[in-house]
Amino acid sequence: MKIVRAENVSYEYTKVVEIQGENVERKLMALDNINIDIEEGSFIAVLGHNGSGKSTFAKHINALITPSSGTVWVDGYDTKDDEQVWNIRQSAGMVFQNPDNQLVATIVEEDIAFGPENLGVEPAEIRKRVDSALQMVGMDGYQKNEPSKLSGGQKQRIAIAGILAMQPKCIVFDEPTAMLDPAGRKDVMETAHRLNKENGITIILITHYMDEAATADKVYVIDDGKIVLSGVPKEVFSQVDKMKGFGLDVPQVTETAYNLRKLGIDIPKDILTVDEMVGAICRLKSNI
Amino acid sequence: MITDITIGQYFPSDSPLHRLDARVKLVITLLYIVSLFLIKSFIGYAFVIIALAIVIKVSKVPFKFMVKGLKSLVFIIIFTALINVFTVKGGETLVTFWKLSITTEGVFFAIKMALRIILLIIGSSLLTLTTTPIKLTDGIEALLKPLSKIGVPAHDIAMMMTIALRFIPTLLDETDKIIKAQQARGADFDTGRLRDKARALVPILVPLFISAFRRADELAMAMESRCYNGGANRTRMNVMKVTSIDYTAIILFVVYWVVIIAMRIIL
Repeated sequence: MKIVRAENVSYEYTKVVEIQGENVERKLMALDNINIDIEEGSFIAVLGHNGSGKSTFAKHINALITPSSGTVWVDGYDTKDDEQVWNIRQSAGMVFQNPDNQLVATIVEEDIAFGPENLGVEPAEIRKRVDSALQMVGMDGYQKNEPSKLSGGQKQRIAIAGILAMQPKCIVFDEPTAMLDPAGRKDVMETAHRLNKENGITIILITHYMDEAATADKVYVIDDGKIVLSGVPKEVFSQVDKMKGFGLDVPQVTETAYNLRKLGIDIPKDILTVDEMVGAICRLKSNI
Repeated sequence: MITDITIGQYFPSDSPLHRLDARVKLVITLLYIVSLFLIKSFIGYAFVIIALAIVIKVSKVPFKFMVKGLKSLVFIIIFTALINVFTVKGGETLVTFWKLSITTEGVFFAIKMALRIILLIIGSSLLTLTTTPIKLTDGIEALLKPLSKIGVPAHDIAMMMTIALRFIPTLLDETDKIIKAQQARGADFDTGRLRDKARALVPILVPLFISAFRRADELAMAMESRCYNGGANRTRMNVMKVTSIDYTAIILFVVYWVVIIAMRIIL
């Protein structure tokens, strides 16, 4: 089943720009005819540099904005249908970039309870969901802590738990690690992968970190509001020249492999991890 | 460090007073304040002092925490006492100098007024010392709820208080960062006249406000994406329950009021 379907989605907005001392309204396309099908239970990554439209796309999935033309279906609901907004937001939760700006309450458990409370869930059931959500993100025992005294990675995992307590089918991560240190980044990515594998939750990861995107089932590259590349990470990242053209990097080892190939060394071009690189070099050595 | 402060003045403990329902505590505190204005005699004050002393003992909050709240108000207490001493006339005249005179009635009234303020502050600080900010907000929301029929936005007021409490440490942290960033570029906040000091605050406040607006915008979006829809059809994880402790407290408080009214009539 498709959890998210976008068909010919465009999003237009007007921006007032000053040209020769006069304010002129300009129509800008943040999204330009996007078509995406996302399978339930998959882990997909959306890549793009700043201003490419990837965050605008993320907000469409949560019905925070609706397309100017085209349609987005989330779990079978049309995001333009006002009556389904709450169903859509329950099926597709969203984790934002800044952990500080998405926590509502002064106590961890109160914050996680915020979503289910809004949905009108019974108090005893909320308590159960809060405890199991904390367990799922590996933060069991932090129920009574103050979010302001936790680290960035921990706060972000609390934010994830807050979404999990609403029992979503899909979670959109909008650059969840951009403000975290390497340890926090690792924690959040491991949590996202665990939720995908163990709980079957569809993960849509919006990012500009190539290493994070490399672990996804499928990668979409957005540039200037259009999907310019898509496929499994190996397909996408092996096109080093194209990626650089979109202002994106590829994982470091992929770039090294690319440079080695340019020097005439016979090495696969779709290397994504250090382990694969080690394997390839060892094979190379044994061939000589 | 301004970043490491605790909000409110909650004193964590496990006394019966801490376990009391926030709504009950709020109403009792309000009625207690009203009762202070019904007392006329020194015997009445003695009764309130004894009652309050017992409650403080039960609350397990050290007395010095109550005094802390009084310290900042010492000036006001002394000031009102002085005004009362010189303005209230009656009874025998004790001292007269220049145009001012002190009478026995004036002295008594001044003492009673000072006692009233002290008892009022200690009593209400007991409420904030034994109730967490969250429970207090929840209590206020529950008590205001009946008023929502006549247009008082009870839920919104409570939500605003919760968010304010949540963002105090975040914004303090931010202020600290901005001050350090401005100091690193040579800003001077400590010297100069008052006007210069006030002007030096502008480069702190402007970025702070801009950032607060940005945070508010993002928070609103995050709340919306978590299905926040105002107070309608909302449930709460922690349901407030009136237990046997609350009934005991209510009964004792009724007895307290009976004594207060009786003393007002008889004495």
